[in-house]
Amino acid sequence: MITSGRRSHKRVSVIGIGNVLLGDDGFGPLAVEMFRSAYECDSNVEILDLGTPGLDIAPYLYDTDLVVLADTILVDERPGTLCIYSEADLFSRRSQLRVTAHDPGVQESLVQLRLAGHAPSELIIVGVVPDSCGLGESISPWVLSASFVAIDKIARLLAERTIACRRREVPAQPHLWWLSGDQRELVSS
Amino acid sequence: MTRVSIDPVTRIEGHLRIDVEVDGGTVQKAWASCTMWRGIETILRGRDAREGWVFAQRFCGVCTTVHAIASVRAVEDALQLEIPANAQYIRNLILIAHALHDHIVHFYHLSILDWVDITTIPKADAARAASLADGYSTWPGNSHAKLEEVQNKVKGLIGSGQLGIFSHGYWSHPAMRLSPEMNLIFFAHYLEALEFQRKACQIVGILGGKTPHIQNMAVGGVMNAINLNSLATMNMDRLGVLQSLIHDIIPFVQQAYLIDTCLLAASYPEWFHYGRGVANYLAVPDLPLDAKATQFDLPGGVIMDGNLAGSRPIKDWRDEKFRAAVAEDVTHAWYRGEGALPPWKGKTEPDYTDFQENAKYTWVKAPRYNGHPMQVGPLSNVLVGFASGHQLTHKWTETALAKISSVHGLKVPPEDLQSTMGRHLARGIRSAMLCDLALGHWQLLTANILKGDDATYNPPQFPNHEIAGVGMHEAPRGGLSHWVMIEKGAFSNYQAVVPTTWNASPRDEKGVPGPYESSLLSNPVADPVKPLEILRTVHSFDPCMACSCHTLDGRGREIAQVKVL
Repeated sequence: MITSGRRSHKRVSVIGIGNVLLGDDGFGPLAVEMFRSAYECDSNVEILDLGTPGLDIAPYLYDTDLVVLADTILVDERPGTLCIYSEADLFSRRSQLRVTAHDPGVQESLVQLRLAGHAPSELIIVGVVPDSCGLGESISPWVLSASFVAIDKIARLLAERTIACRRREVPAQPHLWWLSGDQRELVSS
Repeated sequence: MTRVSIDPVTRIEGHLRIDVEVDGGTVQKAWASCTMWRGIETILRGRDAREGWVFAQRFCGVCTTVHAIASVRAVEDALQLEIPANAQYIRNLILIAHALHDHIVHFYHLSILDWVDITTIPKADAARAASLADGYSTWPGNSHAKLEEVQNKVKGLIGSGQLGIFSHGYWSHPAMRLSPEMNLIFFAHYLEALEFQRKACQIVGILGGKTPHIQNMAVGGVMNAINLNSLATMNMDRLGVLQSLIHDIIPFVQQAYLIDTCLLAASYPEWFHYGRGVANYLAVPDLPLDAKATQFDLPGGVIMDGNLAGSRPIKDWRDEKFRAAVAEDVTHAWYRGEGALPPWKGKTEPDYTDFQENAKYTWVKAPRYNGHPMQVGPLSNVLVGFASGHQLTHKWTETALAKISSVHGLKVPPEDLQSTMGRHLARGIRSAMLCDLALGHWQLLTANILKGDDATYNPPQFPNHEIAGVGMHEAPRGGLSHWVMIEKGAFSNYQAVVPTTWNASPRDEKGVPGPYESSLLSNPVADPVKPLEILRTVHSFDPCMACSCHTLDGRGREIAQVKVL
């Protein structure tokens, strides 16, 4: 079946990064799960919770056309602040950026994939400033409310690139096993 | 006496600090410190034992499947619950694919730039490199055209003046000795490795439902439906895809990766004499061949004081000696108390004091085996297999040693594997073995299904009284064990004794250092400001410091610091 030309063949990944056991560090996985529940995409769009993959993110970026990465960021802004970065932003700040042990290895993987000729054509980071990332903590109200904004932003970013993405009439049940019952209800409501 | 502190050690998974005292160009004393809190087990207390694996696979961002499977094995052990043969094979295939992925990434993406100086690549004669590589291996990626293409990419990168991620390398260090041609060959494989680590991930994805967090695990087996007549389940099509992925990976591992470890060894033979450290080795049996897990494709055992002839087997997962031998000492770790406790009685109560080299200085506990520090990892796996006459281990170890000797005539006895270079070589040998075993377990699974067996799950039943279990796995980084106490179906205690805990162990009650710390003694350091040789030895262990937290840093901080005090 031929659908709307080339665009439907674009390989798109919406990726969440972070550790769900560490409070706000779980923003990325939370955002992609909420996105999956609220929006419906074609099969060329993969929605992935990658946890904290380090350099192991490379296989998921390999030969993609567009990657939208939801992640926590450390900038001097209030918790819950949403920032969008392009790949160029990531690299122009390169000289100041630290390749930390906590770094998801995104930059390193991108450079490897570029050299190998398999890098994504475009990468966008949807970042949120965390409040607290303590072991066993739940998501803070600031990051939780930012997640609702973030998923609409992701949908808009896809739409701007002519990637089909529709809001579901009836949201799918999100699988948020790591959240407390109260928070799960809040997300579903 | 010069004091060097590397914090953090880069090109590892997680956060590690290494301190050494250098005198006369060699290391005299060393301390390994994990600077990240690792008390994640506390989160499991009170949870439903059937769901522990879902949390356990979030312990670490890279070893997800490893912890998922160790967790279900621990609960099954406590219940003495047998799982169907299909479930064993499916788990084994996931573990093999994960290990291949890990070993490939470790060698090429986390280690090789300690030995390969990419800044010399523009000077290489690509035609000569191709004919050189041709003499060593039949790998098709070694053609003149391919190597020239890689060389041009590197020229472009260097010409742009922005080495980017490669700008932190210790380029032009006197310990970098490979010719530009050899550097080109290694770097070409570095780039090709990306494709094959991806294929290994795809195997995990097909069997596990998703990667990196598999969805198919269950206490009692796996949740894969098997029905040869249904499109939606494990059928001949899926098995066919798995088989072809395995066949795609094998040539890269056996003709490029393994050969590269041999070439590296032949080029840097002195590294067979550095980095030995703790010569006690522990490997746990893995890749069970039957439902009851009585026979294993990877043997377990213990070797003390490097005495290969005196190795003792760990026959199966119920080995009582193993259970009685393991204890974790917190004398020098940031936990309350002193001395050692067996994992089932283990506590995780933080007591942070700052780095105090004569007192507490790390978040890593000190695991001990009958009171002794042990080295774990592919080297232990290969030495235990070799010492116990395991055929597959002999086949690939002998292949590798013969290859090394064919390069410059260097004869390496198996005993010399106990070294920094030996750890890289052992990982290559183990990967070659795992390729054969991937096919073997694919055949076992397929034959069993064709026989009409479609069972994958035996439901667990939990008693009200307290039960204890241990789940073992010979993980990519070495012997892993999850120790659980369960009451009324919920965890009352949970301790994971992970491979890096064994290797990154601090000193114990008696002041005996752990494997990283001992391996650095007598390690050369030509220039304390550029401690490349220390990284070589530390990286050879494939450190993974529970990379349980990360944040993309937009604020900007300094690159890894090397402080010379």
